Amino acid sequence: MKLFIFKEEVIRWLDQLLRERILVAPVQVQGSTLFQPVSKVEEIAFDFGNTTLSPKGWFLPSTEVLFSVQSNDGQPKLVPATVEKDAVIFGMRPCDARGIALLDAPLLREPGDTLYQERRARTSIIGLSCRHVQPECFCTSVGSAPNDPNHVDILLTEIENGYLVQVITEKGKALLPEALAESEETLPPPLEPQAVPVKEVTLAIRELFNNPYWERLADRCLHCNICAYVCPTCYCFDVRDYSNKGNLERVRSWDSCQAPGFSQIAGGYDLRTTKGARLRQRFYHKLLYFPEQFGAVACVGCGRCVKSCPVNIDIREVMSDLQQLEAKSGC
Amino acid sequence: MDSELIHQIRNQACDLLESGTVKGVIGYERASDGLTARPVFAYEPAAVERLVFDETCTHNLVKYLLDKKAEKMAVVVKPCDSRTINLLLNEKQIKRETVFIIGVTCPGVVETSWNYKGQTLQARCQTCQFSKPLVYDFLAEHEPVERPKGELYLNIQEMETKPIMVRRNFWLEQFEHCVRCYACRQVCPGCYCPQCFVEQLDPLWVGIRIAPKENELWQIMRAFHLAGRCIGCDECQRVCPVDIPLSLLNRKLEKEVKELFDFQAGLNPEGQPPLATFKKEEELGFEE
Repeated sequence: MKLFIFKEEVIRWLDQLLRERILVAPVQVQGSTLFQPVSKVEEIAFDFGNTTLSPKGWFLPSTEVLFSVQSNDGQPKLVPATVEKDAVIFGMRPCDARGIALLDAPLLREPGDTLYQERRARTSIIGLSCRHVQPECFCTSVGSAPNDPNHVDILLTEIENGYLVQVITEKGKALLPEALAESEETLPPPLEPQAVPVKEVTLAIRELFNNPYWERLADRCLHCNICAYVCPTCYCFDVRDYSNKGNLERVRSWDSCQAPGFSQIAGGYDLRTTKGARLRQRFYHKLLYFPEQFGAVACVGCGRCVKSCPVNIDIREVMSDLQQLEAKSGC
Repeated sequence: MDSELIHQIRNQACDLLESGTVKGVIGYERASDGLTARPVFAYEPAAVERLVFDETCTHNLVKYLLDKKAEKMAVVVKPCDSRTINLLLNEKQIKRETVFIIGVTCPGVVETSWNYKGQTLQARCQTCQFSKPLVYDFLAEHEPVERPKGELYLNIQEMETKPIMVRRNFWLEQFEHCVRCYACRQVCPGCYCPQCFVEQLDPLWVGIRIAPKENELWQIMRAFHLAGRCIGCDECQRVCPVDIPLSLLNRKLEKEVKELFDFQAGLNPEGQPPLATFKKEEELGFEE
């Protein structure tokens, strides 16, 4: 027997949840679907492939204050930023949940990113299995699946009239509504997104560092930050201090390895001056450096970069190209 | 897809590469969705087989010439894009002799995104004034092109009737979604400063926050830097990941410059853009 919840009960359940805590869910904003805190259940978009931006922004916001220093009668007082309320994210796709789990590796590692850690601890995740494979996605090639129950607290899978409910963690159990029914239905068979040769290129691409392929690929690249900003696993940021009438704030904002000046260091020296070097860094971090450091490819196969790139730099195609180049160079 | 047109482009590209006239040809090829187009750089004669041209070739390829100043390049240029060539010649960013322009007659391009091809012409094509490029070395033309006769600036005129606070709030709401990915700048052929004002880091000119005030400053400065210079390719609007209608802002400034100076960017290879010109007799509008 599986736990089951009717569609109208889901609405009631979410309504209950948003009275107690912040409810973050997919919302239609112009042509985009974005994860945002909602004040009414009616704002939620239930029918979507995946969101335009990944849900990482809830845990690692595009801009946040890390701490402030306030001056009280000449006495500076350090005020760390804190997370005010518990939250629940509804509607996270399994690939994106895996993305958050991947972010945990660098951000929860000792000494840990305090704010990220706090948001992570105080946010529960209600996942939503994919009903359709998108033409750009490839989650099964990078260790996930359209119905992967790992990395969420509760996983909902849509069937007729409602959702099958899988409770994964204790945190998830605490969220459960009373109005759960039971169902004889079995989980729908898993969807099969396309296969991409990830395993074949990971760790082996080291040999291709100086291959002219990167400069050629970069010919077309605009070096905007779109791929990094839509990516569930990119986590680079910039930090600056701001002062205002004796008070000070330390702020961090997203940054991207594709941006000019990203790799500029003290004295003005730039480690990656060519477009090819910058573009190569993106793929090397995902397919070589991150796996070496944390044991998994820093890609969840959501396909957002494929879909959003204005000049069609397609990571799936890059991986196939790399595979062919490796075969040619015999490494 | 007009196969005769493509045949002409490929032949010309092949000749240029085989004869060593150019180092490479910047054109369009089929994207990974098998449906739309993407930019391609062909350096060997064999690569010209990848070149295509159809109603999904929306990109303004002239931008790429700014990365390839050291060698002579050929570039496939639609009528609208040809204004970019003039703009960059006006502003001394490219040399005419280091560019070979493969002009194409264009029936207009449709709205596209990855794996999506729209049915109707882009708004800019509905008011396009040109059926062939203003400047070219070779013209690929086949079927006669009919231009729709849409009236320019209709949406601007509509916007102008709204009260200032309505307009202001409209734009502030739009800028709120901006993630400062700078795709609008990176794709813009008029944005070529060696160091953009938002990358002035020491001291910092614009805060790093991805937040309404900073976004607004970025967007307004970007638009003003393009006043009288934007040639209307609408690439900025196409690439924006959060769908900010940047064209509306750019067209408004274009209209202002047209009314004030009777000038539109990129129509002539010679001549100075008005905002890069200073005349002693001009009234400055403030006490001198």
